[in-house]
Amino acid sequence: MFFKLALRNSRRSRKENGLFFSSLLITIIAFYIILSLPNQDVMLFLKQMESDAVDRLMSMIPLFFGAALVILFFLIYYAGKYQMQRRRHEFGLYLMMGMRRGKLFSLLLAEDLYGSILSLVIGLPAALLLAELISLVTARVAGMGVIGHRFSFSPEAALLTAAGFLLIKLTAFLILSGRVARQEIGSLLVEMPEGMKKQFSGPVYGAAAAAGLVCLGTAWRMAAKGLSWYSTGRMGLTLLLGVCGTWLLFFGLRSVMNFFAGRGDRKGRLRVFHFRQLEETVIRCHGALAVSSLLILASLCCFGAGAAIMRFYGDSEPHVLDYTFDGDMQSISEVEKKLSAQGLDGQFSSLFEMKVGYIRTTEDYDNAFRMDPVLEAISGMEDSEEKQQLENILMYAEYPYIISLSGYNRLLEAAGLPQISLERGEAGIYMDGMFAGEGERKIMDEVLAAGPEADLDGTTYRLTGNVQSVNLVTDDSITLSFALILPDEDFAYYTQGEYTVYLDGVLKKGEEESLMAAIMDMNSDLDQNGIIYESYLQNMGRQMFYVAAAGYITIYLAVVFLIIANTVIGVQFLMGQRRTGRRYQTLSRLGASYRELCRAAGRQVNWYFGIPAAVAAVSSMFGVRALLMGLLTSRTRSDIGEVMWIAAIMILFLCVVECIYMAAVRRSCSRYLLTVMEPEREE
Amino acid sequence: MERILEIEDLKKYYGRQPNQTKALDGITFQVIKGEFLGIMGSSGSGKSTLLNCIATVTRPTGGKMLLKGQEIQKLKGTNLARYRGRKIGYLFQNFELLDNLTGRENILLPLAIQRVPGGEGEKRLNQLAEYLEITDVMDKFPAQMSGGQKQRTAAARALILNPELILCDEPTGALDSRNARGLMEKLKGLNEEEAATILMVTHDSGAASYCSRILFIRDGRIFHELRRNMPEESRREFYERILKVMAQLGGGSEYVF
Repeated sequence: MFFKLALRNSRRSRKENGLFFSSLLITIIAFYIILSLPNQDVMLFLKQMESDAVDRLMSMIPLFFGAALVILFFLIYYAGKYQMQRRRHEFGLYLMMGMRRGKLFSLLLAEDLYGSILSLVIGLPAALLLAELISLVTARVAGMGVIGHRFSFSPEAALLTAAGFLLIKLTAFLILSGRVARQEIGSLLVEMPEGMKKQFSGPVYGAAAAAGLVCLGTAWRMAAKGLSWYSTGRMGLTLLLGVCGTWLLFFGLRSVMNFFAGRGDRKGRLRVFHFRQLEETVIRCHGALAVSSLLILASLCCFGAGAAIMRFYGDSEPHVLDYTFDGDMQSISEVEKKLSAQGLDGQFSSLFEMKVGYIRTTEDYDNAFRMDPVLEAISGMEDSEEKQQLENILMYAEYPYIISLSGYNRLLEAAGLPQISLERGEAGIYMDGMFAGEGERKIMDEVLAAGPEADLDGTTYRLTGNVQSVNLVTDDSITLSFALILPDEDFAYYTQGEYTVYLDGVLKKGEEESLMAAIMDMNSDLDQNGIIYESYLQNMGRQMFYVAAAGYITIYLAVVFLIIANTVIGVQFLMGQRRTGRRYQTLSRLGASYRELCRAAGRQVNWYFGIPAAVAAVSSMFGVRALLMGLLTSRTRSDIGEVMWIAAIMILFLCVVECIYMAAVRRSCSRYLLTVMEPEREE
Repeated sequence: MERILEIEDLKKYYGRQPNQTKALDGITFQVIKGEFLGIMGSSGSGKSTLLNCIATVTRPTGGKMLLKGQEIQKLKGTNLARYRGRKIGYLFQNFELLDNLTGRENILLPLAIQRVPGGEGEKRLNQLAEYLEITDVMDKFPAQMSGGQKQRTAAARALILNPELILCDEPTGALDSRNARGLMEKLKGLNEEEAATILMVTHDSGAASYCSRILFIRDGRIFHELRRNMPEESRREFYERILKVMAQLGGGSEYVF
């Protein structure tokens, strides 16, 4: 009988408070995702490439897990508190019927354990699937789909998830049940008054709301202007103003609600009832609403910043080369011999030498190369940021690198681009995309179209073609801001035979094998033969690390914060609705139709979710900007406008998520209202 | 005499045979315009079920209920909501005021539900508030009112849209004797001055003595009917007659074994 009752009660709780059950599932998923991070493909891959950095990140996982435990404990506690409050009368009845407190405790424990185990049974597979999905998406975003995905299950993560989940669930249960156990039967049976909050006069609330807006406005200004990053004190002040401003705003919000309610029901539609309900909730829970709003803000900031960082670091140039072997002429020929001896050269669709060197015919480094007509043409152009950036690059181009034409043409061929042809006395211009963006290259192309002349160590050269920017080697971090591409004879003359040779290779693409697997196989062959190399994966690993470390963690936190905030708001609203269910019954008896009641409840949901979300959304526009100003490098800061757009889109996307949450709560409300309207036998 | 409400062979059964409970077992009566009808009976006699059937809170098993010729059971959707909001006014035993609305907002609530422009209700509100002596509590919340004030506010809410029929479910049940008397006098006044038709369920003989006619219900059937002989019969004399019937109801000879 005892277990039957526990089972039945647990089932009823899940049915009546789906939001609570969902929060349990979310907690499990959140735990597993953070704990299974080291086992995900993307991280396993990164570990091979950037083991030190990844190890550092992995060593922080227990820290994140601990933080997640604490944060999610509050979620469980909060949701559980309402669950317990809802059943106070029932507990009182059990005790009245002679159930000992110990037995009641055991009953609740059994119910709790049953619910927890069921949550784990459903939650862990869901978490596993989601973790795999995240792994795939992250790989796609960062690695452009080159990673061969393998299904991975981490038993250790699953065990730790179960342990962590049961720990916080049990702790919350002990605290909550302890509170119930200490209460008298009488107080359990009687509807517990919420306790009147101390009331101040109207102007106090109005002044609080105004003060809140002033504080928030100041915090927004400091964030937007980047003043917060000047010192720790200023950052602290910004945060303090933001938190206090939000709290004061929600504390004073009742004056706004009172104002709306006081305007009366001019057009009917239960406006007064709706605003009075909101006012009551705002009075009772302004603190929780403020915290929820701040959590949504934190979530939006994390999401916006995370997405922007991912976009920035994940935005790599198109990749052409898979391998580069560097060294002087002798070692390169050794490498070629070794590759040939092992038959490895056959695995490359293209293997060619890229020669890069300095001008060795003169020691006048300040005047080795002059291109006055080019600089004049640029200075005569309309002022723009790109023009300024280009002038800065060209200012230091008096002693440029030179690249041999044949090697570069092989590179273009590998990239599937048209080759360039240069006559004697002609030179091409190379500028890496890292320094010269599209805008700068466009200006340069315009100038080059006229075929301007330049002086290279006393010889006149005509600059021709378009600016070239394909990476010369696999390593993205090896870049040339400005170089000249010269015909091979001229290259040989100016370098006097002293230059660096990079042996670049492009692997043959197998039909089934992914690029990752092909490169990894080749890496192991090269390692066995003692050949030193730089592969595309190492380069990609670096990029992916930024994406994974910054993007993954920020988005993870964003999702956790958002879920907690929405669950708190949702549970609070639904429980408030249950507490005031009698009012809806009265309205129904006074002639309000079901549709009208649903509409009134729906409007309340919109406002109840909308207010904290709107405050957070406005704050986040400043918060994300401030975060980006602090996090992005000075070079990328010029792109802050573009990044802000990405952040804004993410915020918009999260607003859609918020709307989905609201729709779910509205549906839950409507279901409850239907039960309220059911006729009941009252005698 | 215009008939406002006609109840014909009304039945309400709970459960199935052989454990069926007959809360109402073929009740028939009429209410005429301006009448103050009382329904009395002991606990479980079916009086609240009867009121709930008329208020459309409970669906009857059989029979007919007609309000001004319109069959109540057949109402659905908007018409049902309109019936509840405009045709009848309901006065609850425990007031059922919305505790987060002020007195004024509570009274004006039916207007909001029925989408009646506020201006129309204001005049009626002031008139009712003055008559029911609740002008002082118009801007107070229910928690700040006495029991009597709460019930009179609830009465004003029930009357604000001038319903055809006012249903009162033990309106004095949660009041002390002084407040109960005050409320009944006000209801009686409304009945006499505004010709309001009132149907009141009560087991309080004192409250019932304000009625012009009383139906006594036992085991879901009408057991007896009392009419006050107006104007010669005083309220006290009528009250004593009620007590006699109540004594019979509670201790009839057929219950003596």
